[in-house]
Amino acid sequence: MSQDNGAHAESGATGATTDASLASRAKNPKKNGPKWWLISLIAVIVAVAVVIGVTLAYAKKDNGTASGNGAAQASTVTIGLKLAPTNLDIRNTAGSALDQILIGNVYEGIVARDSKNQVTPAIASSWEESKDGLTYTFHLNKNMVFSNGDTLDAEDVAWSINELIAKQYHDADALEAVSKVEAKDADTVVITLKTPNSNLLWTLTGRAGLVFDKDAKYDLKTQAVGSGPYTVAKFVENDSITLKANEKYWGKNKAKTPTIVVKYLADDNAAVNALKSGDVQVLAPITENLAEPFTSDPSKYVVKAGDGTDKYVLGFNNASGSKLADKRIRQAIRYAINHDELIASRGGADKALGGPIPSLDPGYEDLTDLYPYDQDKAKSLMAAVGYSEDKPLELTLTYANIYGTELGDQLRSQLKPIGIDLKVNVVEFSTWLQDVYTNHDFDISLVDHNESHDFYTWTDPTYYFGYDNKDVQKLYAEGIAATTDKERDAKFAEAAKLISEDAPADWLFNYRITTATAKGVEGFPFDLNQTVLPLYNVTYTK
Amino acid sequence: MRFVVRRLLLFVAALFGLSVVVFAALRILPGDVASIMAGVNAPPEKAAQLREQLGLNRPLAIQYLDWMGALLHGDFGTSILTGRSVTSLVASRASITFPLIILGLLIALAVGLPLGCAAVLARSARVRAAFHVLAIIGGAVPALWSGLLLILLFGKGTGLVGILPSQGFPMDGWTTPGRALLALILPALSVGIIVGASLMRYTRAVLGDLANSGYIDMARSCGMTRTQAVLRVGLRLATPQLVSVIGLTFASMITGVMVIENLFALPGIGNGLVTDVGNRDLIAVQSELFLLAAFFLGVGLVVDVLHRILDPRLKSADTVSEVAA
Repeated sequence: MSQDNGAHAESGATGATTDASLASRAKNPKKNGPKWWLISLIAVIVAVAVVIGVTLAYAKKDNGTASGNGAAQASTVTIGLKLAPTNLDIRNTAGSALDQILIGNVYEGIVARDSKNQVTPAIASSWEESKDGLTYTFHLNKNMVFSNGDTLDAEDVAWSINELIAKQYHDADALEAVSKVEAKDADTVVITLKTPNSNLLWTLTGRAGLVFDKDAKYDLKTQAVGSGPYTVAKFVENDSITLKANEKYWGKNKAKTPTIVVKYLADDNAAVNALKSGDVQVLAPITENLAEPFTSDPSKYVVKAGDGTDKYVLGFNNASGSKLADKRIRQAIRYAINHDELIASRGGADKALGGPIPSLDPGYEDLTDLYPYDQDKAKSLMAAVGYSEDKPLELTLTYANIYGTELGDQLRSQLKPIGIDLKVNVVEFSTWLQDVYTNHDFDISLVDHNESHDFYTWTDPTYYFGYDNKDVQKLYAEGIAATTDKERDAKFAEAAKLISEDAPADWLFNYRITTATAKGVEGFPFDLNQTVLPLYNVTYTK
Repeated sequence: MRFVVRRLLLFVAALFGLSVVVFAALRILPGDVASIMAGVNAPPEKAAQLREQLGLNRPLAIQYLDWMGALLHGDFGTSILTGRSVTSLVASRASITFPLIILGLLIALAVGLPLGCAAVLARSARVRAAFHVLAIIGGAVPALWSGLLLILLFGKGTGLVGILPSQGFPMDGWTTPGRALLALILPALSVGIIVGASLMRYTRAVLGDLANSGYIDMARSCGMTRTQAVLRVGLRLATPQLVSVIGLTFASMITGVMVIENLFALPGIGNGLVTDVGNRDLIAVQSELFLLAAFFLGVGLVVDVLHRILDPRLKSADTVSEVAA
């Protein structure tokens, strides 16, 4: 570029004399001169005028409808979410994005769960459990229909669950204890178990209990036929879903807003802009550090954090032969991490979590006292193994790029003084799945395990943590076989404490979703809204 | 004629080579779509079962031949994850990306060509230097930053003069053309300004070289002013080169606008491609890449042919060599 410049400067200088002489000989220097720039100037002015005109016309139209409606309830509410589903096939495709948008809105389960993670009636209005915990009898609602007009009865319910087990659809492994599912009559379904399972009802609130139309034929990846208050009117993968109220809806959760549009905004800044500009009325989640313009304007926005089951798990490779097979190193890491600092740097809404069970799951106990922040203890544990800041242990932290780079950097600097040289390796999610989850090729991993009731991962030695503790496995089995909730919770809590003491992982925090809504939005749930998001109650009044 | 045939044969050979490279390169990526579908709470058998169902266990050679066979029939396959045909996926994404690129390119031309000409024509060295700085700044600004700046200035709700939508594409797409066009203005501006700066530099360089050439002196000795000579003779001589640059810029913008698509939440081609690669939806990705590459090569071909038509010297050189042969 600079070479160019030199050449031109030169040409300008030498050209000046010839310029002058040639210009004086020109036939008609001024006649054609101003034309070209005048024309382009006019063109630019016209273009700008047209753009501004069109824009203003549209802006006016928008304002017109807004003021025309006055305080009326909007017929469309647009909601901004983050993780987008790639298809609608809830039977085969993992990911809570599908649960979030489809369960309770488009599809309904035999039972449902509320924002406190408790089981509530849905397709079944009531149920009984036999004393031995082996038989569950569900009494269904009457006069139920799917959105295509087909009736929904016990046949559909039994068929759906049996299909799930036979075809091994997603979550089928959670129903391993089921021996048979039968439609006793049109509105009674009986589920018989081989062994008692205290998690059964909760499991049925998720994908395992969803009811599909046994007679309908449609492409599950692009369409959805359910019995819920909404139907999918349009689905653009990775971008948006338009829900329309189901005119044939049978139940009492009737949609209050006729159209709900869900926009998936992967970029945090784009999401914030969308809420500011009014393109969306709700943002869930919003990155807490970006929520400031909304929290500082309570006359226009409501910002609130809700409880959830997201556990940011710093999982260690516990398998023998791993660098972290020595318990002292794992304990040292847990002592060295300053959880309060991590949480504060993220905005302060998240909750400290000392063990594998979050507060909304059965068996929760506050275990944060087991490994309080204590650098000296961490240093002496590391020294006992033979490492110090001058002679550090090299470890690699592998995690998916969706969680950002800050956490890795913070952990790196927190672990440095105790003698751990942490290499942070941020990879694509697919790569993480391959290297860490499937091949167990890692030292430390970081994932947001957002599923509820996923405590069983600690009882499976083949899971990527490689954690194998017979006592924990026994307690968990006893908890599952328990026939009362109280007994189950006690067993789980005991197992969770054992796990936490063993330090097979560190639980950085229980991520709490921050949701921001425009003032006037009612009925949007704040708790658990990344997995359970009933939309029928949502309204927006301008 | 011979030239066109030769280029067409090359085009086909390049496509074939490309299909092999694309297929192989994607298979080297760690992870696969089955484990994505199974997620982190399913037992490993679930992923294995899906892999079997989706036919991902078959030998690679067979998978490649299947894909090629279908391609020859004009069937680009079905995305494993979305269940939609790749043709319809690409078509719906292209209905956003192509208008965005064309609009961006028009803005770039409207900015780049006049400024490039003005930079050559300016008499004072200071003005020329100012143009030079402008071109460098324009070329150095990342599209992401200029996009953010535009949102802060004009984005509805956020901007100082909040008049234009800055998020997403209307749900009804092009059935509401006014809204669709409005949604593309800010993204097209952010692309257009940057591409315009690079076009400006090209125009300035090409025209600047010509301005010192004998053609211009000749024109001026015939009585034109320097401005007239540069605009009438120089610009015409520069056309073949500029057309090449514009053609290739157009092709490279298809993926180049990805950052902008992401920033403005537009579900376009680049954006979709990144998502598909992330999900390891390889059947979709390989066909999408193949289509893109074919388009890129196609544009190259058209540009080459245009170049010949616009520059008669090349044609005569061709006939000379053909006669010699």
